[in-house]
Amino acid sequence: MSIKTGAGAKTPPPFYKRVGRKVWLFFNSLKLTLAVMLTLAFAAGFGTVIEQGLRPAEYIRAFGPKWTSVIYYTQVNDLYHAWWFTALLALLCLNIIVCTFERFPPKWKALLNQKPSGKFNARIISNCSHNNTIILATELDKAREKVLAVFKKKKYKTQLTTASDGHYIYAWRGTLGRFGSDIVHISLLLILLGSILGGFYGYKDNKIVYEGDTMTVPEAPFQVKLNKFWIDFYDTGQIRQYNSLLSVMENGKEVLKKQIWVNEPLYYKGIRFYQSSYGSAWDRIKRADIGLLKKDSKRIKTTVSVDWGKTVPLKGTPYSIKLMGFAADFAYDNATKTVFSQSAETKNPAVHIEIYKGKEMISNPWLFLNYPGIFPAIPDSEDDLVFAGFTGIMYSGISLNKDPGTNVVWLGALVMGLGFFLAFFITHKRLWIYIKSEGNSSEIKIGGFINKNQFALEKELKDIVHRIESD
Amino acid sequence: MVLSLVFFSFSFGFYILAALFYFGNWTLKKKWLGQLATSISYVALFSTTMILIMRAGESGHAPFSNLYESMVLFVWGINLGYLILEYRHKFKAIGAFVMSLAFLAMLSASLLPYRFKSVEPLNPALQNKWHWLVDLLSKVGLEKYAIGWLDFHVFTTFVGYSAFAISFGISIMYLIKNRSEARGGKGGLLAAFPDSKMLDELGYRTIAWGFPFLAIGIVSGAVWANYAWGTYWSWDPKETWSLITWFIYAAYLHARVTRGWRGKKAAYLSIAGFLAILFLYWGVSFVLPGLHAYA
Ligand code: HEM
Repeated sequence: MSIKTGAGAKTPPPFYKRVGRKVWLFFNSLKLTLAVMLTLAFAAGFGTVIEQGLRPAEYIRAFGPKWTSVIYYTQVNDLYHAWWFTALLALLCLNIIVCTFERFPPKWKALLNQKPSGKFNARIISNCSHNNTIILATELDKAREKVLAVFKKKKYKTQLTTASDGHYIYAWRGTLGRFGSDIVHISLLLILLGSILGGFYGYKDNKIVYEGDTMTVPEAPFQVKLNKFWIDFYDTGQIRQYNSLLSVMENGKEVLKKQIWVNEPLYYKGIRFYQSSYGSAWDRIKRADIGLLKKDSKRIKTTVSVDWGKTVPLKGTPYSIKLMGFAADFAYDNATKTVFSQSAETKNPAVHIEIYKGKEMISNPWLFLNYPGIFPAIPDSEDDLVFAGFTGIMYSGISLNKDPGTNVVWLGALVMGLGFFLAFFITHKRLWIYIKSEGNSSEIKIGGFINKNQFALEKELKDIVHRIESD
Repeated sequence: MVLSLVFFSFSFGFYILAALFYFGNWTLKKKWLGQLATSISYVALFSTTMILIMRAGESGHAPFSNLYESMVLFVWGINLGYLILEYRHKFKAIGAFVMSLAFLAMLSASLLPYRFKSVEPLNPALQNKWHWLVDLLSKVGLEKYAIGWLDFHVFTTFVGYSAFAISFGISIMYLIKNRSEARGGKGGLLAAFPDSKMLDELGYRTIAWGFPFLAIGIVSGAVWANYAWGTYWSWDPKETWSLITWFIYAAYLHARVTRGWRGKKAAYLSIAGFLAILFLYWGVSFVLPGLHAYA
């Protein structure tokens, strides 16, 4: 038995390195990019076919119990937040990162440090897909000056090598365009980063605020007060806009006042406030009109307006009335013995009042707008009270949104724009020119390569040849 | 309502004629037919522009607010894009395909039921103007014509769609031409097509325009949504489908730099991309529930 060890023997790279290499190669593949992109496209499309975020009962109605359990198991009811969808996005990110790491540094070196390569093989020119030969009736050095002047005018960088058999010129422009795709890829990472930031450090909330009320804002050192809500109409009666007049309150003082509407949020200290819904309150009103009449008559003798929560004396009578409650669509729950509103509509409006005679409360009935006198308001009395009208309170539905990632997303979008511009509209053109003496004249051979957009190169070469030939 | 309809009828006629003459030029190989087709396309472009201007005058807002108007914008983009392409590269055979698409789009716009056509005031979610532009225009009394994110969003999206429509036509031509080249076919009608390499390149160039425009459309839509709905992205079906199409075209771009995926496979991706656009444009509005009013 002999164990060979020695400097000469090649040990295979350790296991983890081989695996690491394989993983790296896996992520460094454009085919993976294509596969992931098309899978993402397909999955996202699937998510638009299965309606998202329904309640289980609704899925069961649409798909039956068996498929519903499949839906929940695969999380396609919330597909865009399913772990496997997130994993696909992560795969794309890794793919981008690895590709960029692999390709960017060598590209950077090759493109930005174009060191003089000296004399190149003139055959490179005839190998170019686009090449031209020009004969100029001038001597060699004049021809060289001419060519260099044309390239200077066309904003090319040039590099001249003079050898015994003539001049070799390498000219290039649009190098930056080669970095466009890298910039696009980095911008994608930025956008994803922004959305992750928003997911971790932001929140969304919906609040219902009555006119005159103040809402507390989570994680913020201020409150917001709704002064007024109103709707604008077109002449035709169609709704034109929903508006809320908001005040930002800090330590009880108003620091900012702003009217918001759909499409025009309030932005304050990182939080946005949007107009999102509205309605009239179903459990509250601004004031109620209460009328006094004799039990056997239909004629109201006096009325009084009572503000919410206030006690008001009914003039010319011993009574005072306090407005306690309201239900837009009165209903009574026998089990809990509580009153509630069945809907937000004013189908059966009712007010809850307390009636005082002097200091003593003599009754606390519910009165119904649609059924005056149905129950006696004051027991054992000739007098009765009816609910004669009311002024409702509007509420405004305000959405709150704090998303510290939004600006990162916008930054990413801007960077992407820059990347697109470089990638699609700045082409990297490289030209090789060889000038040699042919008797009294000079022969100029030009050949060029372009990374994309062959037409542009064709046109460019035509223009260059034209400029060199004309004086 | 009246003047824009007049221009619509005229444009409709022009697109029929342009498509016919391009076909004639291609099949009969008569040069004058081609020149006629091009001239009519310019007239059609003017006439389509007038539809949009008249609509703006009639409704008092940018003419991109319902399906009908967006179709006209789409046709306008196809026409303009095609004429630029023809001016630069002088291939009239492409016109037979692309102008037929424009004609089909006009046809479907004219067949839309009335409720997609009528001039309507904007509903609350669609009202959004750039303050700086309103301020600027109000100095000369034209603040009525200020535009906002919505108009910008629709406009850029549709420029993108138009470019993709053109590349769709070109990709189909590519597949036809490529097949005939593979069989060694030379003459016949296909001789008037640019060679397949050229078609591949032209398809790429049009997508290179469409892709960033669609991206700007998506981003400006996100900016607008951030104003109107409070989030820049909510996976609404329209948003999702715009992302899907964008991914398909991203795959197309990458297919072109991947060995074994160039040419034919890329052309199929471009066709798939346009089908996705059609679904994004029509399918989503009618089939899937969502927040978008149309386009
Ligand atoms: C949604 C994701 C992506 C988008 C939108 C995107 C976008 C782009 C764009 C616009 C280009 C320029 C294409 C052109 O000039 O024709 C490009 C090129 C490229 N992309 Fe992506 N990309 C994405 C993901 C990836 C990933 C994951 C990889 C990783 C392999 C990748 C690798 C490349 C490469 C190698 C190029 C060619 C670079 C060049 O020719 O200079 N891309 N990409």
